[in-house]
Amino acid sequence: MLKRVIQSQPQVSPLAPRISNHEDKQEAHAEVPSKRVSSMGELQLPDVAPENRITVFCMTKKRKKLSISEFERAAERRLPQYQGKAAVKNSLAQCCICCHSLHMSVGSLLAPDTVEKRGLFRRPKIRRAVDMQEFEGRVEQYMLKSKGQNYLVDSPSGIRTSILTSDAEMMMNTTELFVQPQLHEQSQNKSALEPQLSNLKTSAERSLISDADQEEARLEGLVSGVSTNEKRYSKSSRLDHEHVDRMTHISPQTPAKQQEEKQDHSHQSNGMAQISFTEEEVVCTAEHGANAGYSEHLEKKLSEKADLQITAARDNRGETEMAPSAGEELAEGSIGAQGSPTADSEITKGIGAESLGRHSHAFSSFRKPEMTPLNETDEQGGELQDQAVMLELNSSVEEPAEDEAEYPASQEVSMKTPAFVRAPASNLLLSKPRVAKPASPRSPVQQLQPKVLPRRLGTSERKPREPQIPRSWIKEAFRHFAKMPVTTDAYRIVEKCCERYFQQLSDDLEAYTHHAGRKTVEAADLEVLMRRQGLVTDKTSLNVLIERHFPLQYRKLLIPVAVSGNKVISSS
Amino acid sequence: MKATVPRLTLRKTLKKHKPQLRLATNVDLLVHLNFLLFLHRLAEEARTNAFEDKSKIIKPEHTISAAKVILKKSRG
Repeated sequence: MLKRVIQSQPQVSPLAPRISNHEDKQEAHAEVPSKRVSSMGELQLPDVAPENRITVFCMTKKRKKLSISEFERAAERRLPQYQGKAAVKNSLAQCCICCHSLHMSVGSLLAPDTVEKRGLFRRPKIRRAVDMQEFEGRVEQYMLKSKGQNYLVDSPSGIRTSILTSDAEMMMNTTELFVQPQLHEQSQNKSALEPQLSNLKTSAERSLISDADQEEARLEGLVSGVSTNEKRYSKSSRLDHEHVDRMTHISPQTPAKQQEEKQDHSHQSNGMAQISFTEEEVVCTAEHGANAGYSEHLEKKLSEKADLQITAARDNRGETEMAPSAGEELAEGSIGAQGSPTADSEITKGIGAESLGRHSHAFSSFRKPEMTPLNETDEQGGELQDQAVMLELNSSVEEPAEDEAEYPASQEVSMKTPAFVRAPASNLLLSKPRVAKPASPRSPVQQLQPKVLPRRLGTSERKPREPQIPRSWIKEAFRHFAKMPVTTDAYRIVEKCCERYFQQLSDDLEAYTHHAGRKTVEAADLEVLMRRQGLVTDKTSLNVLIERHFPLQYRKLLIPVAVSGNKVISSS
Repeated sequence: MKATVPRLTLRKTLKKHKPQLRLATNVDLLVHLNFLLFLHRLAEEARTNAFEDKSKIIKPEHTISAAKVILKKSRG
């Protein structure tokens, strides 16, 4: 029957080739494996039987009926060969699982084989399904179901199996990769083998899956935890720091930004990256200032979260460089503190790098709030940030304790980056609003007044109204160009930009006109300006732009227009 | 787009900045053209920033970063 099974069914297990070779040796080696000598020669002996079981085991998933009948026959045959079965199971288990422990092999052998024990094993196996062995649990259940039909066949063995199952349960509950050989009896081994069979098979998978799940769960938990922490600390940061005005400007953006980051996990523009990076620094500083001991953990979380986002999104920032270098430092503490598996430790390494980098930024921004925003150009800002990154890299390489010593050095440089990022915004906000806003609200009101007042009261003009491009017009133009909804705050910034732009424009025009030796700005000067700006190129001429953007009446003025009737309308 | 351009306002703005500078005829239209194109570039850049941020609204931070770039570009 065994031979028939082997021949009829395809070889699924790795032991398949051995089965055919060792059919003859089965009986001879039945005793040897009972002693639990895990040698391949001995294992090979009962290959036929275990392989049969293996094949049958594999078969059970697919063809229950066939396996059941085969099991029955095998059980009948193997009842007298109780000892042999143990041996077979040993070999089977070891062969298929490559496990070195006898107990595990025995258990594995038991799983497919023992008819008498199957019925009893069914229960523990079902319980085992609760463990992390989804797949293997199902397999075992199949086996058990098939065995259950044979349950009635072997009552005396059933008792033993009950004992064995208890041991097996104990073995199973440990969920260890390698169950240490504690049982010296064959029965115990057999019971252990059965659960271990599934254990061994799925141990590697389970460990991987569990690790991955744990990692993901941890990361997600940390991300969620970080968000709340960041919110709290962002709020506290406003109170703690001197630059409340600036920090508030940035910190309220941080929770929103971080939320966005979390949701989107994409952060591609450098400008955005800079701002968010500094904001995270701010948050880190707030956290650090709030609680030194707890901040570490938070920063780790923060760095984890940030690392997830940043490493995922920003490749050009060079933060990944920071991550591995700084990760080493934090890995020690993180591993020690968390006792996480290697996979997690790697993640914490990357996180630690971020956290350390944040440390430097946090310290710098925290300790030097007095630094005024530097009027820096983009280039300077880039340089500073590069320096900050380098400092972070250097700091991250050293021990965490040493990093603190470097903080004051890195603080200065890294301080500049947030200052720089804040500079244009503050420039725009601080320098312009005073000028623009008092003027702008006045103008619409004053526009009404001069109409009314001079008529009625005949008083002198009250409006030294500053000429200003109407806001609504700017808004409409911008909206038309942007094709997206624009917040009102953005409009204010656009207005300030316009003012700045007009300043620049007038300066340039004056320079061009003076260069041409004239005092009046001409159209040619404008064209030169536009060419330098890159608007007018060899491909697009000025006229093209005029036609694109101006209505006909204006175009007529600017461009000579030829009309029917031999007429030419020109601007002259 | 609007049909009328605030030409007078443009002139006055320019005068405010540079009183000694004169403007030829219809030059302010070109100035206005330049201004429109500047706004255009600013809006495009802000829109790009908003896209990169995966938000459907242009926010101030997008505009700020866009302004930094465009103002530098349009200096001539």
